[in-house]
Amino acid sequence: MPSKFRGVMQSPVTPLKDDFSLDLPTFEKLLDFHVRTGATAISWPHHKSESLNLTIAERKRFAEAAVRVVNGRIPVTIHVSALAVEDTMALARHAQEIGADGILAITPYFWTPSLEAIEAYFMRLCRSIALPVLSYNSPSYLAGVEITGELMARLIERLPNFVGVKEASFNSEKFLEISRAALAMRDDFAMLTGVEYLLPSVPLGGVGSYSAAGSICPNLCAQLFDACTAGDWPRARELQAKVSWLWLLFRDQYPSSLKGGMVMMGRPVGPTRAPLPTATRERQAYIESELARLGILDTEPHGW
Amino acid sequence: MSAFSPAFLPGLVHTPVTPFTRDRGIDLDLYERLIDFHIGNGADTLALAMHAGESVSLPDDERRRLLEFAIKHVNGRKPVMAHVSETGTGIAAALARHAEDAGATAIVATTPYYWTPPAAMVLEHFAAIGAAVTIPFFVYNAPEEMQGTKVTAELCRKLIERLPNFAGVVDLSLDWQFMIELMTDAPRLRPGFQLLSGTELLVSPAAIGASGLFAPLAAIAPKLVRKLYDLCRDQKLFEARKTQETIAGLRQALKPLGVAGLKAAMRAMSRDCGEPRPPLVPLDAAACQKLVATLDAIHALPEEPRGW
Repeated sequence: MPSKFRGVMQSPVTPLKDDFSLDLPTFEKLLDFHVRTGATAISWPHHKSESLNLTIAERKRFAEAAVRVVNGRIPVTIHVSALAVEDTMALARHAQEIGADGILAITPYFWTPSLEAIEAYFMRLCRSIALPVLSYNSPSYLAGVEITGELMARLIERLPNFVGVKEASFNSEKFLEISRAALAMRDDFAMLTGVEYLLPSVPLGGVGSYSAAGSICPNLCAQLFDACTAGDWPRARELQAKVSWLWLLFRDQYPSSLKGGMVMMGRPVGPTRAPLPTATRERQAYIESELARLGILDTEPHGW
Repeated sequence: MSAFSPAFLPGLVHTPVTPFTRDRGIDLDLYERLIDFHIGNGADTLALAMHAGESVSLPDDERRRLLEFAIKHVNGRKPVMAHVSETGTGIAAALARHAEDAGATAIVATTPYYWTPPAAMVLEHFAAIGAAVTIPFFVYNAPEEMQGTKVTAELCRKLIERLPNFAGVVDLSLDWQFMIELMTDAPRLRPGFQLLSGTELLVSPAAIGASGLFAPLAAIAPKLVRKLYDLCRDQKLFEARKTQETIAGLRQALKPLGVAGLKAAMRAMSRDCGEPRPPLVPLDAAACQKLVATLDAIHALPEEPRGW
């Protein structure tokens, strides 16, 4: 049976009020928007959702809201990565208690842990809950810390609920090292990538991605996934070029620029918490001109 | 802006090693045999001498004579790309001029060795090398080998403006973000601009739009490499996955061992080209044994040619 974690999955940003407190009504609207516009799953709070700028209590509160609002229409996973591993463990237990469909966890932050330490971390995390666990590999953001193909194989062998990876190196060699180890052991292991990098990953066995630009251009995301799974490579190249240009646009001061872009699409979600800046009016105007140039303003939904 | 359209499509590029005798001289008889092997086993183009050919261990004069010797022996059967990477811009440009005079079809050069230069220096380095010749010029992007010095899409835009013969990038960064940005821009600014994968991980670059492949592993498994290249060229990317995974396994086994491992693997395939020159050290007996066992476990290798 293919993994239920597939397609372009959306990780909503975290709407904030002008005083930087959580804006629950807007979060509820945003969750609904993603479900209605074709998200295949919801995952919250990613780094794009300012996960590390939220308190653990805030994360639990909005995780509950996500499960409640989505209400079983598509799977909901909770991103449990936190600076303190003990917080990660607590968030994982909480995700299970509130009825989430799975969790996502990156290799531990800051300490540049050894492979043995990464192994022990995932063993402990996966054995603490019954939910499916997706791992998250991001060597370029974590000083080269990564899950090797051998470690992936050891984890898959021992942990029945270790079901996939968000492989966000965006590198052919690293993706292949993991995909060929994992898929040889379990052909329904979910090989996922970040930022809609579907064109280079789907032919290697990738089944989907998370999304940077889904709150701007959900139609484009769905079209790209369909073109890749259909093997329509010329069309996929054209769509991937557009989506990747948006990533270059939003990568600068991510997710501030993304929140700025959402204003221009009629879906304002408030400021961004420090130390991240909030997109200025000038930045918003530049983003709007780029969205116009790419035809996004004419082809994607405006407002909620 | 001249509408330079490179008539030269490198395709599947083999990158032969340089065979050495016991006293560390170049074994020219064996080099002839090796060139014939590559031409007879699937190469569309030869690139000489790349890092797999220990270019940096060849003194300038020897490097020039070796290129002349190879071009004479190839005798027009296949195009020859000359590798002209150097630390000093003037030295590299002189090698480039020599390569054109010697009859090379194209040249390829990395970012400068050692200096880890900022982008503006890399641009001037490449601009001088490219301007020294009229044949197509490819730049080689290998940040891992060059302490992080990168070729960026922005640099390529500027090189297209400066050089009518700037024909493409050989990519060893394996970085999807770079490759996609490059191929969104460059072919529009220069019709015919080419992305070539710098190693046998071709499926993702081919999806993005790569048209060629530099393949050091063709010395070990030329059939497998040709099969991967043909499937990717025909855009049969799902069909290419299994072959790609097998080659990725071969690469993962050999990459940490460098040129010494490549030469040991060639010996295991009964194509002994001697040991690498210092400072590289040959594999010891235990490492050789382990490598042979690894090669034996790769299911596709029995179908590959043994001997010459």
